[in-house]
Amino acid sequence: MMKQRVTSAGLVAGLVLTASAAFAEYPERTINMLVPFGAGGGTDVPARFFAAEMEGILGQNIVVSNVEGAGGTVGATQLSQADANGYNLGFLPVGTTTTQPHLKRTSYNADSWTPICMVSQGPFYLVVAEDSPIKTVDDYVAMANGDGLKFAGAGPGSMAHVAQLTLDNKLGVTTRYIPTKGGGDIATEINGGRADATAWFADFGTKFGWRALAILSDQRSAQHPDVPTLAELGHDAQVSVWFGFFTQAGTPDDVVNTLSEACAKAVEADSFKENMAGANRLVRYMGTEEFGPFFRTAFELNGKLLEDAGLIK
Amino acid sequence: MDQVAQAMAHFASVSVLIALIIGSVWGTIAGALPGIGTVAALVVALPFAFGMSTEASIALFLGIYVTSVYGGSISAILINTPGTPQSAATVLDGYPMAKAGKADLAIGWATFSSLVGGVFSLVVLILAAPLLARVSVAFGPAAIFAIIVFALTCIAWVSAGSTTKGLLAGVIGLWLTTIGTDDLTGYTRFDFGQPALMGGLSLIPVLIGIFALAEVFHRAGRYFAAKPPDVSNVGFRMPALGEITLRMPQFFRASVIGTFIGILPGTGATAATFVSYSDLRRSSPRRENFGKGEPDGLVASETANNAVTGGALIPTLALGIPGDGGTVVLLGVLTIQGLTPGFDLAQNNPHILTGVFLLILVANFIMFGLGALGSRIFAKILAMPEPLLMAFIMLFSFVGAFVVRGNPVDVIICAVAGVAGVILRFAKYPVAPIVIGMALGTTFEGKLRQGMISAQGDFFEFISDPIALGVLGLTAAFIAAPIIGSRRSGERND
Repeated sequence: MMKQRVTSAGLVAGLVLTASAAFAEYPERTINMLVPFGAGGGTDVPARFFAAEMEGILGQNIVVSNVEGAGGTVGATQLSQADANGYNLGFLPVGTTTTQPHLKRTSYNADSWTPICMVSQGPFYLVVAEDSPIKTVDDYVAMANGDGLKFAGAGPGSMAHVAQLTLDNKLGVTTRYIPTKGGGDIATEINGGRADATAWFADFGTKFGWRALAILSDQRSAQHPDVPTLAELGHDAQVSVWFGFFTQAGTPDDVVNTLSEACAKAVEADSFKENMAGANRLVRYMGTEEFGPFFRTAFELNGKLLEDAGLIK
Repeated sequence: MDQVAQAMAHFASVSVLIALIIGSVWGTIAGALPGIGTVAALVVALPFAFGMSTEASIALFLGIYVTSVYGGSISAILINTPGTPQSAATVLDGYPMAKAGKADLAIGWATFSSLVGGVFSLVVLILAAPLLARVSVAFGPAAIFAIIVFALTCIAWVSAGSTTKGLLAGVIGLWLTTIGTDDLTGYTRFDFGQPALMGGLSLIPVLIGIFALAEVFHRAGRYFAAKPPDVSNVGFRMPALGEITLRMPQFFRASVIGTFIGILPGTGATAATFVSYSDLRRSSPRRENFGKGEPDGLVASETANNAVTGGALIPTLALGIPGDGGTVVLLGVLTIQGLTPGFDLAQNNPHILTGVFLLILVANFIMFGLGALGSRIFAKILAMPEPLLMAFIMLFSFVGAFVVRGNPVDVIICAVAGVAGVILRFAKYPVAPIVIGMALGTTFEGKLRQGMISAQGDFFEFISDPIALGVLGLTAAFIAAPIIGSRRSGERND
């Protein structure tokens, strides 16, 4: 089994090499893939699955390095300043690339990157604790209009905050945002009954035993087919977290092409799909032509949303 | 029993045992190297999680997790440099004991304490994980804030004789944690326009600088002037049985404190050691000897930090909420293996949890064996010519500072902290308070502000949490007791 995989990986690598040999010898050495969050976390795990596939396809070692800090901006800044030669690539999430530049005035912006492909996307679910009195979105609205509702999430401008702002807009309510340091702190606040709701991913049930009121997407998910979309309930609110594969602007076209082709193969690989499914993550592929404009639109839209919410000073 | 049999069927194999031993050896070495802490030791091994079976990879990472905390005590005792932040309090009594020619005994105490703490928390994990997991979420921002306030009183204990300087150093430590992006507002503070400081200061580079590099610089300065302190009798000597049984209450207190603080998400082993040290420094009948090489000091620190390992796994495995930095990586390993730690794992794969318990138990005994056998190697390493040893320490310090976040700036921060550490030493400032301030500052400020936002700025509503009130009351009583006591004895003397 293992042997077979190695052989087929070698075969694919061989094909890719012959295909790109006409242009250049890229890649000819170890590639560095930067993840701007900690090892073992939500961005790191899909990044490592993806890197493992890309290694086989490109026929070179890929070293995943975690450069943490400040919502991923420390790592992204470092990456944006690296040589645009295809050996310094990044696995970056939506927040680091489309909200943080507006919030923190980072030295990088939408023009700093060549987006290669989208690898994964997961819609948010509006969730509450198992024993919460909130059973439906109507209850959510009623509580927000009544005693008030506390919505927990990571720091201001985080994607959970974007979800809260979007929900407030679309549902016509005002909820109170409780910023935390994210992840485990959000779970502690919800389970401890100190916050009423949050936006979380598809593993809300398996991980924390929470209940979903709705999915913030235009279609139901195969993972939770009984959770209604907000659109069905009459509110068009869509917020998701996606992860993309990026290189710096100015990277030679042939390198981008090689990476683009490799990415298309990686996300199709059975082992990748299995790994992602095991980790409760959704594969969502978008090729270079589609992802480029999509990324720019997201960058502009999130900038506007944060500005309207008064978060950009 | 059925679960144990099922777990044995999965985990009792040669490959799992080998993975556990490799993990334990690497964990001990990494922990002992100044700078390579628990998280870095786990991250280095992360790529191997892909090629291994679920059981073997769990064994590898648990081995590293459990033993790296212990490894930090070795360098703390022998070269006055905590290998990990969790062992910062071990320096306080471990190094004086080593200087007194009892290095072997100090290592014996640290090893035995680690074993006691590890096994105690494991028993708690087996008996009460689901119950304690529910208790842990009852500790809101106010309650954790109160516990951190208690831990901060440790600054007073470690700076006895120079209280003003100690408090000043503690405040510097607290302030250092405010540098960089503020998680709760997104604003950047004290970065002086340097993008490099946007991510803030990480504790480990500063810790390495202040302890390890400062020690190197200090010794370099002394090397030409006088003979270096002779740390002799390096080895492993078990403390006498009578000495151990005498300290049963201390072992128990430190185990409970460590396990309990481990359960609280995001509080961590470093805070636990300082809470435990403060507690025993106050309650032990041998409190007068603290700081001079009292075994109770080692018991406080090493029992508590290893007890955290089991405690921190309770919210991690039962709730999917990581209890400390190391468990974040453990969660990642399980996720890579297609397991979602938390709500479902306990229901659908209980044999994995039982397997985890068994592995930790075995890892704790491997750790004990490594401590006993490895001590000869430590002796050899310390027998190196001093300049060579110091050069190695410097090398590992810079590597360690770099690997924490992969940020080259951390190497510079480490060097600056080293110079600052030497200056502070010459000025007779205790440096431990800086580390205490830094280790606790982020949680201290974060929980205070998160709770205040929740309470809409009303401090009395924030503090109305009964657990918080209880802990703060206890802290106030502990602070007041020695003051009242000394005033009374003062009156009598008049």
